[in-house]
Amino acid sequence: MTLAKAAGQFTETEIDDEVVVMSLTTGDFFSLTGTARAIWLALDGQHDRAGLIAVLAAEFGAAPDKIAPDVDDFLAQLSAAGLLTGA
Amino acid sequence: MALLARETAWRHGPVPRDLDGITVPLGHRLIAGGCYLQWSDSGYGYYHAPGEGIVIERPDGADPDEEALWLNGSVYAGVACLNGFLPLHASAVAVDGRVIAFTGPTGAGKSTLAAGLGQLGLPLFCDDTLLIDLHSTAGLIVMPGHKRLKLLPDALRLAGAAAEAPVGAETGKFYARPAAGDLGQPLPLAGLVFLEAGAELAWHPVRGAERFVRLEDDHYTQAIFHEAAQPDRATLFTLRARLAGQVAMARLVRPISVEGFAASLALAAERIREFGR
Repeated sequence: MTLAKAAGQFTETEIDDEVVVMSLTTGDFFSLTGTARAIWLALDGQHDRAGLIAVLAAEFGAAPDKIAPDVDDFLAQLSAAGLLTGA
Repeated sequence: MALLARETAWRHGPVPRDLDGITVPLGHRLIAGGCYLQWSDSGYGYYHAPGEGIVIERPDGADPDEEALWLNGSVYAGVACLNGFLPLHASAVAVDGRVIAFTGPTGAGKSTLAAGLGQLGLPLFCDDTLLIDLHSTAGLIVMPGHKRLKLLPDALRLAGAAAEAPVGAETGKFYARPAAGDLGQPLPLAGLVFLEAGAELAWHPVRGAERFVRLEDDHYTQAIFHEAAQPDRATLFTLRARLAGQVAMARLVRPISVEGFAASLALAAERIREFGR
């Protein structure tokens, strides 16, 4: 299933090298840096889980199976916060 | 500037007890329908309606000093919020045509530092409340505030400022005219410095999401802004993002002591000249 940011459920801004995301439902803030920022930016509604991992593996020059656990953890956090669809 | 001057022009007269069909008891305020109504515990009444400035009702036997405190505090902030300005709890000085603001909780030393910088030749821009003009789309323009500082006696001594009249109303503070004068025109806000107490004198730039988080402000003027503008979460986020994205931020950590004041003043004076450039 294609993964995407949950449209209408958040607002975001970039400050320096961080992305700050706020849930419009809860008002909670999330500061995304490093790989979390990269995953968030790669969530363009064009990829399923495997495709997203492939994109990130290419970006970071890492094996897909090495980064998959971290990607899954972050996607689970986004889903729990109501910021992800298709998970 | 003209808008704010017109809407905060004041006169004495009768003030209504009700607003929008609701009676406002002593010690409370109500903002509704673009109007502001406040009654102090001592019986001072303040009322503002769009285009009519501020009407003040002074009760018999009232402490006359109290009138200006409410007027220049919550009433001024409320009318400003109703007219498209965002208040920040900060005292500020002007440096080469830009404004550097110092913020922190009550007692953090905002006014004292601004007074001390005045002794070094930097004119005062505002004391305690800084108004950001939300009408401006080009940069963050801030409005000059009241012309005098309010300082406790020990802060007067520390900053080398001369006391004028007592502020009164049991504040223990005195008015002080800024040593380098004040400015009367709007200027761009270039930097925001968070004042903190600590053992070692230090200046730390604030970056990333911390810039966002540090804009949390529990000053009473934020409550007034929420009552007046009733911003939703997305609007507040956008406002914060605008501030965090356009204003340089730093923490000034310094020992709170007479001995340490000169060093912290010197560090602040040195850093703010290039701050945000």
